[in-house]
Amino acid sequence: MSSPAPAEARGLRVRSAVQLLLLGAFLAWSVSAAEISPGSLVDARALDGLGRMVRGMFPPDLSPGFLAVVAGAVARTLAIGIAGTVLAILLAVPLGILATPTLFRPGALGGRDGAFAAVLFAAHLAARGTLRVFRAVPDLLWALLFVVAVGLGPRAGALALGVSYAGVLGRVYADLLEEVDPSAAEVLAASGGRRETLVLFALIPQALPGLVSYSLYSLECAIRSASVLGFVGAGGIGQELQLSMRLFEYRQVSTLLLALLGLMLAGEAVSRLLRRAMQTARERGSAGAGPRGRRLLAAVAVVSVGLSFQGAELLGGADDGLLRRMGRFAAQLFPPDLSPAFLASLRTPVLQTLAVAGAGTLLGVGLAAVLGPFASGRLMLPVPGEPGRPGAAGPLRRLLHAAVRSALAVLRGIPEMLWVLLCIVAVGFGPFAGALALGLHTAGVLGKLWAEALDEVPPGPLEVLEAAGATRAVRTLWAAWPQARTLVASYGLLRWEFNLRASALVGFLGGGGLGLQLYNAVQLAFYERVATMVLLIFALVVVSDALSDGLRRSWLAPTALRREVRRAVGPRVVLEARRLLARAP
Amino acid sequence: MTFSLHGVRRRLEGRAGPVDALADVSLEVAPGERLVVLGPSGAGKTTLFGVLNTTLLATEGTVRFEERDVSRLTRRGLRAVRRRIGTVFQQPRLVPSLTARQNALLGRVGHWSFAEAMRAWVRPSPEDAARVDAALEAVGLHHRAGARGDELSGGEQQRVAIARVLVQEPTAVLADEPFSSLDPTLRDSMGELLLGVAARGRTLVAVMHDVDFALRHFPRVVGLGAGRVLFDAPAEKVTPAMLAELYPRASAERPGTPGKERADVLACAR
Repeated sequence: MSSPAPAEARGLRVRSAVQLLLLGAFLAWSVSAAEISPGSLVDARALDGLGRMVRGMFPPDLSPGFLAVVAGAVARTLAIGIAGTVLAILLAVPLGILATPTLFRPGALGGRDGAFAAVLFAAHLAARGTLRVFRAVPDLLWALLFVVAVGLGPRAGALALGVSYAGVLGRVYADLLEEVDPSAAEVLAASGGRRETLVLFALIPQALPGLVSYSLYSLECAIRSASVLGFVGAGGIGQELQLSMRLFEYRQVSTLLLALLGLMLAGEAVSRLLRRAMQTARERGSAGAGPRGRRLLAAVAVVSVGLSFQGAELLGGADDGLLRRMGRFAAQLFPPDLSPAFLASLRTPVLQTLAVAGAGTLLGVGLAAVLGPFASGRLMLPVPGEPGRPGAAGPLRRLLHAAVRSALAVLRGIPEMLWVLLCIVAVGFGPFAGALALGLHTAGVLGKLWAEALDEVPPGPLEVLEAAGATRAVRTLWAAWPQARTLVASYGLLRWEFNLRASALVGFLGGGGLGLQLYNAVQLAFYERVATMVLLIFALVVVSDALSDGLRRSWLAPTALRREVRRAVGPRVVLEARRLLARAP
Repeated sequence: MTFSLHGVRRRLEGRAGPVDALADVSLEVAPGERLVVLGPSGAGKTTLFGVLNTTLLATEGTVRFEERDVSRLTRRGLRAVRRRIGTVFQQPRLVPSLTARQNALLGRVGHWSFAEAMRAWVRPSPEDAARVDAALEAVGLHHRAGARGDELSGGEQQRVAIARVLVQEPTAVLADEPFSSLDPTLRDSMGELLLGVAARGRTLVAVMHDVDFALRHFPRVVGLGAGRVLFDAPAEKVTPAMLAELYPRASAERPGTPGKERADVLACAR
């Protein structure tokens, strides 16, 4: 019953109208600046090139020799992902604890006063800043930097993932520790417990399920990322793909694509199974496996981590030359090149990066809005246990549902960096290829997430509209979308944040924007310029995240958001949203 | 006949296997008639309601709306029938993020093509807008037209649901225990609104717990028990004995059944 006062309501309306107008203007500008030319998609030459590629892809190269190469690449990709995640966890645990405000704010529980507290507070702020930098620089960019620092190969990939995922995980750990119900810690603090005691005995045990679940999830994401790091020479299946593309060996490309798609979907399935197993274990109130099972699990984990470190060339090769080389490279980054001439030359690439992100997001949102409803079971399939409902799903609709779901799986299963390579074949080098690539991948991700959001919509209003004679499409438009809009909007914003990071990089592969300049500067060893551009990307990401955070907050007042999301879809999707956030390193 | 049901059986998948929610129901409702269906929980009232508004098919028997056999309709024909039947559900079922005005506008959905539905998002047609204004005026909510569905109180939401039916301009109105989510003080005003909807020559079929209200306002009463019509009589011929048979003591004491049914019956019988 708390309707805002009329004046306030008008103010809100005006503000959101202005925001929408600005957003619309930005998107319109991006479409023109990203040199979107649908014509070039159906241009005869482009079609010819695409046709040649597609024809060239059949049949996939299944010769034993090449399959061995593929298997090796997949294994290395897994190794990079696992080793990277383990490194990330090792880094994120101390940084995350140090970044938890409830522990290190002045006057925190169990803290002491005096100079030591001030030092700790400074360390706390530094930890938060470090995590922010780790997080805001995209993983592919970290990979590029590590390739320069430690050389080509999986080692650079694992280190890059370690740093970039430490940024995400550290933040998530800090959030989870902060959200823990403080009463247990207060009891311990009241009885004189020190901070270390509080962390070990009050905070971590309570936050443990969340900590484990996010760490596992980031493993899935890291394997996903590991498959593209190879595009900048950081090992894994991406490197093989890049090589086969360069050599125009399209039959090999299609084998590698299939392997990659399988890897992605298997990763998704395994992590879904693990999460479900953990949830049922939690609901049953036991740890799931018995002591023997747990010992087996631990052994498997230790062995696979060991093998991964071996595979990622992190063992044995850790000669002291490695650290020295990394240090030398870091020193070469300073001072960043801030000469006016160079800065002026970055204006166009920066604008292009923004345009690629905007146009890509717009394309993805549009496609997902069309495809999402078809992938939703609630909108497409009959209510179970209610046979004999008129107008129930015919076989054709089931088929359509299944087809759209698999199309979305393929769209999101192929990483956007790979889409860039494919789009370049279709439309040539330039920002259009970048925007198209981001759009296709975004459509796959958003289409699935939106379909899930539509699945969880309360059915009452849908039934009302059905009873009043509305067509399925009209029901979707007026009852399904409006009820899901909180989630729809926040997923959309999250994708924008993700796409901006990606659009800074699509240029590595010829997709326009800052990436090309960055790649060239690395190749030419202009490291002061590299430093400037990394700083610029960092700044862009920080500003865009702040802006979209502001939008999120004003579109969906935070408390209302939390309440509405919980009510509409339950904690599962909240978790999913947090994961998505975590996924955009 | 607005509705005519012959030997309707409807099977539902219950937790303990299939059950016949409707065992054998025959019923004729003439245009402009006002009819109330009484019965204990589990008698099949809501299933009957679903069969009448054509969102459930009969497992056996025929259901006709305005002489058209519902089971033989194409999807298009079904939609044409549905837009002529207005439905007031137990819960208001508004779309929470839309305003009262938009929710009322949803009465028109049956008439819209997808393109028209898109256009209505931006700006409803002048005719639709006029209908919405009139309907909100009629339910006394004109001052709350811009409030979101989830900002309205329970009573206001149910009034918007009634406005939605007014906007639909149906020939028949179905109401499934429209007051059960309201507190008793709101019941009478809401009842009047509902009767007002049916006043303009529309057929009204209501399913209700409130025996007292039903007998006062509906000329024809149908008693439904265990999926069968136990009696079908003018209101003045309904005797306490008939009601007692309809609401056996056991049903009032079944867990989950509100005890008020029994209380209503007793109050009425006295």
